[in-house]
Amino acid sequence: MRSSVNLSHYKRVMGQGTKARKFLLWFLLIIILALSFKASQIDIRAFIDGMPHALSLIKEMFPPDFTRWKRIITLTAETISVGFWGTFLGILVSVPLGIFSAKNTSPNAVIYNTSKELVNLLRAVPNIIYALIFVTTIGIGPVAGVIALMLATVGLLGKFYAEAVESIDPKPVEAIEAAGSHKLSVIRHAVFPQVFPLFMGYNLYALDHNIRAAMALGLVGAGGLGIELFTQMRSFNYQKVSAILIVMLIIIIAIDRVSAYLRKGIIEGTLFSANKFRDYVLMAIVAAMAFISIYFIPVDLKEIVYGLPRIWEFLSNMFPPERSDIPRYIWLMLETIAIGICGTFFAIVISIPLGMLAARNVTHSPVISNAAREITNFLRGIPDLVFALVFVAAVGLGPFAGVLALALHTAGFLGKFYAEAIENIDPKPVEAVEATGARFLQKIIHAVFPQALPLFNSYNLYILDRNIRAATILGVVGAGGIGFELIMSVRLFEHQRTATLIIIILITIMAVDRISAYLRKKVV
Amino acid sequence: MKWQGHGNAVPLQKEAKMLEMESIHKRFNGAEVLKGVDLKVKKGEAVALIGPSGSGKTTLIRIINGFVVPDNGRVVVLGKEIDYRKRDELRQMRRRIGMIYQLFNLVDRTSALDNVVSGALGRMDRGFELISSTIGLFSREVRERAMELLSFVGIEDKAFERVDRLSGGQKQRVAIARALMQEPEILLADEPIANLDPKTSQKIMELLTKTNREKGITIITVLHHLKSVRDHSHRVVGLKDGEICFDGRTDCLTREHLSSIYGFAGEYECAAA
Ligand SMILES: Nc1ncnc2c1ncn2[C@@H]1O[C@H](COP(=O)(O)OP(=O)(O)O)[C@@H](O)[C@H]1O
Ligand SMILES: [Mg+2]
Repeated sequence: MRSSVNLSHYKRVMGQGTKARKFLLWFLLIIILALSFKASQIDIRAFIDGMPHALSLIKEMFPPDFTRWKRIITLTAETISVGFWGTFLGILVSVPLGIFSAKNTSPNAVIYNTSKELVNLLRAVPNIIYALIFVTTIGIGPVAGVIALMLATVGLLGKFYAEAVESIDPKPVEAIEAAGSHKLSVIRHAVFPQVFPLFMGYNLYALDHNIRAAMALGLVGAGGLGIELFTQMRSFNYQKVSAILIVMLIIIIAIDRVSAYLRKGIIEGTLFSANKFRDYVLMAIVAAMAFISIYFIPVDLKEIVYGLPRIWEFLSNMFPPERSDIPRYIWLMLETIAIGICGTFFAIVISIPLGMLAARNVTHSPVISNAAREITNFLRGIPDLVFALVFVAAVGLGPFAGVLALALHTAGFLGKFYAEAIENIDPKPVEAVEATGARFLQKIIHAVFPQALPLFNSYNLYILDRNIRAATILGVVGAGGIGFELIMSVRLFEHQRTATLIIIILITIMAVDRISAYLRKKVV
Repeated sequence: MKWQGHGNAVPLQKEAKMLEMESIHKRFNGAEVLKGVDLKVKKGEAVALIGPSGSGKTTLIRIINGFVVPDNGRVVVLGKEIDYRKRDELRQMRRRIGMIYQLFNLVDRTSALDNVVSGALGRMDRGFELISSTIGLFSREVRERAMELLSFVGIEDKAFERVDRLSGGQKQRVAIARALMQEPEILLADEPIANLDPKTSQKIMELLTKTNREKGITIITVLHHLKSVRDHSHRVVGLKDGEICFDGRTDCLTREHLSSIYGFAGEYECAAA
């Protein structure tokens, strides 16, 4: 019963246009990828040659050497303290700035636009760059780290707060305004109660993020465990390195879990309801740590005051920015972008199987999915700069080490995100395809992927954005990109060069941020 | 691969057994959902499965295509006893059984044609065909067959439309085409019209009947709409509290039977009365 339906007719009418567009998109993607591979010196041979080296390096790490445990504990406390201080000061600045940069609570358009752009600018600068600047101006030590994290926190929280305030229910605000109250009391009584849980959630997120970041800040001398890691790495004491890595990993993973748990409880309003005792204990621990960090490990804020003139000197020495090397810097920036693209590509390649294994509705085996989850936790737990440090030792200085570092660290994020996306898909179509007698992979590709793909793409774009940003500072440990020039210019007090480099980095990051946000809106 | 049309109207009397279920028991968390169900279905029959919510209809249907494993009892599908532990055997069996769902269960964001073509996946389970179909490459033959089926169900003009943009009735048509793509010998339908308006329901039931008549495919449909039961099935199986309490020709179903199944007779006008 062959019917007269003409497939090619329909294809001409309806299928062809989108197909051509798709083809073009893939073509462009492959070209960009090929160019990025070339620019970031992806080298399978170097990878294969580096493997034995990396393995022997890992072997040399065992058994971990905890003989300097006193120093490790001191530095760990310092790291956590830097994280708390940075978050605490960041919150203090972010509350007014967030309210000023929210449309519905800002006093006027000038303040609104100024504070909004200020927040955007603060967010665009990677925290390592802040740290680098403050280490050279106010000196090596935790204070530089605290200020760096504070500024980065304001960039992050300022935006989150503003978005939270803008999304509130206007009715209670109107009611209190109608009673003729002062603007401040409107904010206090109508706005604040609504946004408080969201703010708390964001604060916890910032804290988690900052303690993680504080681990790496030491690499440029801004206090904490990082400096010890860097020193031991450079003197090839791999057993001491592994001891530090283990401590870092434990702390980061513990904080990640506690923060995720508390945030979930705060946002869903389930905190202190189901498992009261545990919730109070967790809250008490976080509060105690905050208190200890801020009260007993005081950061000498006087240093900031003494440093102010030097910061001013630093800033004024930046002008006019050096112009002669701009073309070379732009090439380096392109190499940096290439590192970000390749790192993201390999992260995706790793995360697709990892995410599927971690998704409980795909594997149906708790052993496998938990193991895959632990792998993502591990990868997320090691900062990319630390990975870069290790890969530089394994495959040599250069962008390839950076690519590997970004790929592994962000596979920890993507793998987790993918797994969550897959777990949230509608199981009904999957069963329907399984009911046709499809095999496992057929089912995954035809019923699971089409559902998860828009989310995957959105996450990929987010990670790409993040990786290009991160690639700008990989040069700090010799893993390619523009960061090496940056750190050299800072160390050599060539402030005008530093200015040029920072401007190029900022323009790139802001552009990538906009493009990524635009595309993410389109794919979902 | 060879496409063969089926002859018209397979005679009812033909004794070929499509399905035999013997003393099927199933418990969920201690509650006995099926309490020893026996059911035999012959080739070409159109069976309506009725019964109140929670009586175990869906469970019974899902035992037939292996998504629920019975606690004990024997299930013979197409002459072969199902061994629920053997995954590949189960898969091979699913290839020959089509399934239609209340909520259509289409893969959103893909086109109607993509959905229909996925019905051929189970058949393309070896060698080169397995690889090409897995990555989404289907032969011209398969795609043309899918177009034919879309025109059989009456929506060939929507072939390249994303299914999430279709109406409920159109979605169910795509789902039927997908099931037919399998070239099934049995078609199971679990409340296929429960989410559709009366007019669309009527059309979908007509389509299922057409499938049963023209293609000779045995159909087992879970239905709540009693007029559809009367108009579109040869035989009715009534399930109550996990037990079959009526099994006979549609025209033998009386008000009394219905009130014993549902507790009241509803709007059913009995053909036999
Ligand atoms: N997977 C399951 N797990 C636990 N209970 C189930 C499951 N599937 C069905 N049940 C229970 O079995 C009973 C019968 O369900 P079902 O077969 O869906 O009935 P029907 O389709 O006739 O409405 C219901 O009480 C339902 O809650
Ligand atoms: Mg049901």
